[in-house]
Amino acid sequence: MSQAIKPASKRASTPLASVMPDAAKIHRLSALLTLLMLIAGFSLASQAFFSVNNALTILLQTSVIGLLGIGMTLVIITGGIDLSVGSVLALSGVGTAMAVKAGVPVGLAMGLGVAIGAACGAVNGLVVTRAKIPPFVATLGMMLMARGLALQLTGAAPISQLGEAFGRLGNGALFRMVEMQPNGFPKVIFPGIPYPAILLLVVAVGATYLLRRRSIGRHIYATGSNEEAARLSGVRVNQTKLYAYVMSGALAGLAGNVLMSRLVTAQPSEGVMYELDAIAAAVIGGASLSGGVGTVSGTMIGAFIIGILRNGLNMAGVSAFIQQIVIGAVVIGAVWIDQMRNRR
Amino acid sequence: MSQTPLVEMIGIEKHFGGVRAVDHVSLDLQPGEVVGVLGHNGAGKSCLMRILAGAMIPSAGEIRINGTAVTFDDPNDARAAGIETIYQTLALADHLDAPANLFLGRELKTRFGNLDDARMLEESRKVLARLNPNFKNLTDPVSSLSGGQRQVIAIARAIYFDTKVLIMDEPTAALGPSETAMVADLIRQLQAEGIGILLVSHDMHDVFDLCNRVVVMNKGRLVGAHGIDEVSKDDVLSLIVKGELPADWSARNLEAVQ
Repeated sequence: MSQAIKPASKRASTPLASVMPDAAKIHRLSALLTLLMLIAGFSLASQAFFSVNNALTILLQTSVIGLLGIGMTLVIITGGIDLSVGSVLALSGVGTAMAVKAGVPVGLAMGLGVAIGAACGAVNGLVVTRAKIPPFVATLGMMLMARGLALQLTGAAPISQLGEAFGRLGNGALFRMVEMQPNGFPKVIFPGIPYPAILLLVVAVGATYLLRRRSIGRHIYATGSNEEAARLSGVRVNQTKLYAYVMSGALAGLAGNVLMSRLVTAQPSEGVMYELDAIAAAVIGGASLSGGVGTVSGTMIGAFIIGILRNGLNMAGVSAFIQQIVIGAVVIGAVWIDQMRNRR
Repeated sequence: MSQTPLVEMIGIEKHFGGVRAVDHVSLDLQPGEVVGVLGHNGAGKSCLMRILAGAMIPSAGEIRINGTAVTFDDPNDARAAGIETIYQTLALADHLDAPANLFLGRELKTRFGNLDDARMLEESRKVLARLNPNFKNLTDPVSSLSGGQRQVIAIARAIYFDTKVLIMDEPTAALGPSETAMVADLIRQLQAEGIGILLVSHDMHDVFDLCNRVVVMNKGRLVGAHGIDEVSKDDVLSLIVKGELPADWSARNLEAVQ
């Protein structure tokens, strides 16, 4: 803001004024560049990294972080945070599995799982807007409650033998081509595009449309940018926030179904600390924790940076502990860059 | 003054615990009238204005618009009744651009319910050009604009829609001399169009220049309501500071009438 000292009338002609709105794009571009450099680096380090099969594995792994990250982005833009998504993911997956065990058709049971997630999100939203509890505390409480409920309902034991239909969402793929070889073994010509990746794409496009083209999206940005101004302008800020938390919960529920379906087992202890991956994805993608800033495309880049870091470090034989250190440093670096950008 | 007032506020009260921020205040506003609302910080004038703007719900009292009693539960209700407010803080969302701020809460939409950004940009261009022909940064976030430009957006938002009553809270506090003159011209123009204006200001010069009447608040109570010809700047200052007119006021006023 070094230009602020110039007289107001000259502001329009300062070069910085025309560059400023592109700062968010620069951030996203630098994230994209980081992503490409990671891919290049890991490809050089490991032969197996740059292959169709590994790319599909990364897609599959990233789809869960991506779904959580999109919901998280909506909440972060309103100026809030949702720490409960990892636990809600587990509770939703457990709910779906219990419904399947009770004889409910898989499609309907998954719908129920998403609804459980949305209900958790609604509780978060109501606690934040009605009881005026800070989002950090409200969703921290939900994080404990949802996890506790998932463990209590299952006796902390995984639910397995859920049938083939339950595993289709997480393991199936579109355009999968398999050829039977003469020796009786199937040969995979093209492994297909995993359903979770398609789901992620659909949700990402939908959320982008919502944020850019619908008034609820504009109200989400306005609420995070200046809540009092939004309220005085007639934006129903409480409903807007509630909407964001419900979406985050529902997407956590969807992510839970994808994850449990991939494992064909409902694990009540699954998804611990996933909220941090989701927050990291949003922040690396340029979302600001003080609200008003963030994009779905940025979060997608952030999710893939984390996914590829995990995958690439695994392939390179780096221990899980070192991976945590690296990802932690990346998150701090991303926020630091964001602050530098805002300080300018 | 046999005409039905545009706005009547009758016996308005606002309590915060034991504190009476607004203590049984009544106020009315005619079409095409500019009423200055004066008082110290904390005298209750902002509270009173927020109540009329629907941003605060009164503890007691009645508001009538064109003679009809109304209740405002939120700012949307007041805006629907034609009451627009320019807040001292401007109430702009910094990360959004000018058109998004101008239409915030009442976005223009296409047939399919999508945001009609092209039309909002076009309409914004028109209304902003009327206020400031040099306004060009329509697609920049308003955080990157100057204080004057931000003020222009806040004013544009208040006059674009079908406005009957305009509440202006310190509209010139952030402005330079030429922009202040522009706002003064605008107030006269709106007045001629029959819009009633409540002008909250500390600037005695502006008040005496623009207002038909002044009302003065002190410690939550209305301590004076006078035609601008009946009082001097010193009289008004006395009302603001002491909550009463100078002791010799009635005598002087009688002389003036004679």
